[in-house]
This record gives sequence, C-alpha cells and structure tokens, in this order.
Amino acid sequence: MTIERKIREHLHEEAETMECPPAISKRIEQSYSHYLQRKRSEITMKKRLIGGIVAAAILIPTAAFAAPVVIDMLTRAPMTSEQVKLDEAGKATLEKLYRAIPETKSFEIINASYLGDPNDSTKKVQLSIVLQEKGGTGKKITLHTNGITDEIQDLTQENWEPKEKPLITLPDQEIKGKVDQLIDQLYGNIKDYEVAMEQMDNPNQKTVILNYTKKGSEGEGYQAFVQGNTISLSPVAPTPSNSEVEGYFSRDGKPDYYADNFINDEKLFALLKMSPTELKEELAKGKSVVEVAASKNISKQQVIDVIARTQAEGQLQDGKNKVTISDDLLKQMMKEVEPKVVQIIEHKTETGW
Amino acid sequence: MENEEMYQLLIKMKEGDEQAFHRVYDATFQDVYRTVSFLVDHKQDREDVMNEIYMQMWTSLANYDTNRPFQFWLHGLVIRQVQRFRVKSWRRFRIFERIRSFSHEESYLDEHTALMDGTNQMISQSIRKLTDKQRTVIIFRFYHDYTLEEIATLLDIPLGTVKSRYHAGLQALRKYLGNLPLERMEKINDY
Repeated sequence: MTIERKIREHLHEEAETMECPPAISKRIEQSYSHYLQRKRSEITMKKRLIGGIVAAAILIPTAAFAAPVVIDMLTRAPMTSEQVKLDEAGKATLEKLYRAIPETKSFEIINASYLGDPNDSTKKVQLSIVLQEKGGTGKKITLHTNGITDEIQDLTQENWEPKEKPLITLPDQEIKGKVDQLIDQLYGNIKDYEVAMEQMDNPNQKTVILNYTKKGSEGEGYQAFVQGNTISLSPVAPTPSNSEVEGYFSRDGKPDYYADNFINDEKLFALLKMSPTELKEELAKGKSVVEVAASKNISKQQVIDVIARTQAEGQLQDGKNKVTISDDLLKQMMKEVEPKVVQIIEHKTETGW
Repeated sequence: MENEEMYQLLIKMKEGDEQAFHRVYDATFQDVYRTVSFLVDHKQDREDVMNEIYMQMWTSLANYDTNRPFQFWLHGLVIRQVQRFRVKSWRRFRIFERIRSFSHEESYLDEHTALMDGTNQMISQSIRKLTDKQRTVIIFRFYHDYTLEEIATLLDIPLGTVKSRYHAGLQALRKYLGNLPLERMEKINDY
C-alpha cells in the first residue's frame, strides 16, 4: 500500500483513541461563563448609558451632552449672586464647592437661576449656579442643586485643561484620573467605586462615558461624560432591576436598547395588562406600542400620560429622596417629555429612529 | 450540522446564549481536540491552545466567511492559535527543555500511543519528528483531506510553499519509515 494511504489510515485510527480530557471542557466552559459575565455587565452599562442619552436628548435636541436634567427646560427665575449667597441651598452648595475645589473661591458667579414651584414660593426644586475664573484659562463650573435636599445633582466642569490640549485629547488613563479626582473632591471615597469607561458612537465629536458603580451595590454611583474640554457629572441612583427584559426593539438584528428606559415602566405594563416579555414579543412582530395598546382599547393619550409621568417623576428623584412638587409643575414637565414619548411609542422595530 | 445552522448558533453564542455555546462545543470539541493533539505534544499546552481557540470563537466571529464551510473557519482558528502558541513556545523553549530534563515529566507519548502496535507507534513518532510546518501540512492533508490549495488558503501562504512542505514532509516520513519491515507494511490494514 502507498505511504499516503498508510498515513491517512493511521491518523484516523489514532484519532479514534484520543479523548478530550474533561478538564479541558470544564475550563472552556468557565471561559465562556466569564465572557457572559463581562457581557452582562456591558449590557447594564449600555442600558444606563442609554438612559443618559435619552435624558440628554430630551434636554438638548442637538444631542450635545450637558446637564442631563429635564427640568432645565422649564421656566426659571434668575437670581443675583447676593441672593444665591443668602439662599439656604445656594449657601450650602457654594460651601460644598469651596471645600472640594478651593480655587473656586476666587471665581465669579456669572449666572444663577432657580426653578420654583408655582404654588409654593419657599420651595426651590432646582437651583443652578455658574461660576467662572477671572482670566486664566477661563475655568468654568456649573452646578445644579436639588433645592430640597441640597444634593448636587449635576455638575459640569469646563476648561480645566489648556485650550490647545483639551481634556478629550489626553490618554484614556489620564482622562479617567481627572474624573476620579473630581468625584473624590466633591463626593469622596472614589476607591469604593468600580469604573467602566467606553467611547461612544458619536460621529460628530469624540465622547467618552464613564460609569462608576459602588462596589457591591445595585448600580448606585456616578455617570460622567467627557467631551471636548468638559466633564459632565451626575450621581446615579441605583437602577431597580425588577424588569429583566431589555432590548424591546431590534435594529439590524441586534438588540436596540434605546427605548428600554421608557418602556420598562411598571405602570405601562399594568395599563396594558401585559408582562414585559409579552410586550416585547408583540413589538418584535413589528407593532408599535400604540398599536399594541389600541388592540386592547387603550388610547394613545393614556399611554403617553403614564410614561410621561414616570419620566417626569424620575427626573425629580434624588437618590433615595423624592422631591414633591405641585401638580401644575408636574404637568408642565410631562408636557416637555411628551414629544420624546410619542417618538418611542410610535416606533417600530428594525426601523431608524 | 449544516453550515448555515452552525453560523446561526455562533451568533447566538456570541450574544450570550449558553445553550448555543453547548451545542457548538459538543459539535466541535472532538475534532478540535484531535487536531490540536496531532499538532501540539504536551497535555498542558493542548489545554491552553484549546481554550484560546474557543475564546476566539466568540470574539472573532466578524471574520467569518459565509462563502466557505464552517469547518474551514474552525480550522483557520485552530491553525492560528497553534501557530501563536508555537511562536510563544519558541521563546520558552530553552527554559522548558531545562525544566523537563530535571523533572519527570510524562514522555512525549501519551497513554494511547503506548497501546498501539509497533508500526503505528513508528508512524506516530515519525510524524512528531517532522518540522512544525511540515507536520501541519501533513495533518491537514491526510487527517482532514484538504487539497493543497485549500491548505494554502488556510495557512495564508503561497501554494508553492505548501507543495514543497508537503513533499519534504513525505520524503522525511519515507526515510523514517523505510526501516519498517516491508511485509508488515503490506499486511497491516491492507484489504
């Protein structure tokens, strides 16, 4: 017989005697589990990130990131710098800032305003202060404080780096270092947090998002966007992980998390008398939320009202503390969110936003 | 399994579907393990290489060519990881050799080769004496029955190079096996 045939036969015979040791299969299985864990944390990260984007998109239709707080859109009353210094929440905020970043003591208050409750003049739902350095690189810091809890809900730090070498051009590790420092100064205990850093798909401008999660918590932490020469930072309340369903829509066959933040709404499920899974199945057939509701004799306006209320109230959450406001103000806020809600509930899977 | 079906499973596995992972693994591990065993001699190294191959499965699905059979993509992964390991192991080679001379590490031959008869042991050992490059071509030609053109594509080298490795490999095997008693050569498995 030819040597070629001999070798072929021999190899097949020998192969029959080779058994893959179970240890190898176990190890590969473990590798896959690790991959899954990483992947899952990525998904939660995406979900939270999308929340951030949605908030920012509600706020600024041009999709530039800054101060992702809806209530910025509402009518605000201006304040003088004297009024800020006399105001309780204003004083507390400035003290916090001066303690955290001492150099800001010499900054000027260039702008201040508050959002009040039309029915209760003592309540300041949100107080906003902008301070800027005289001369220098024109360092600027914007703070939004919850007037009821004195908590700094959102802050933007600009021009801390020289103009010719803006923050975003630094290596990732250095960017992270600057954000770490800012959080540590203002809120402390940075070492208790884990961070995931990711560049966002933003074709117009390089944008980096950092999600800080308190070790061992349910997602309590901070979210920061870095763009140009700006850090925009806000504390994030723990995300209730009661709804395990995500990716209600898909795009190019991939899960699309864009609307999850709006659709994962217990009150919506109750209104439709459907479980999250059932709703996802209906949407996967190419129906919109409005159509699903119509098949159950529920009007579009009912759906809008439910989601808009949840979204508006969500904006008033401050960590674990809920801010109470008058119905008038809540209605005003719901009106602001409405166009966004309509876009979501009329959307059909596999179509562009 | 059909190529299309395998591809769909791979996509699911990448998305985090554990069932899909098990189906892909069960359908492939035997073939992958045997191929790796023919190309890599040491147990621990085989484990490392296998692990790397599967990790590649969920990270490099992007370069999957749907025009070719699934098997072809899989073997491409196997080859790349085996080669990566060889490059690494050359650097470690010296240290490794020294350690081995001191420790009583298992011999090159696995238990199963010990059970083979003399002729088969001879062939096994002869294949192991080939250069890594010749050995790869020989294994893919005779164990997986690829044409030399396909091997050239898999290895991403010119066909001429594959041919010369193939012939040099066969030459060497003839030389090693030349001392086999001829009548045994004739008798064994000659139907």
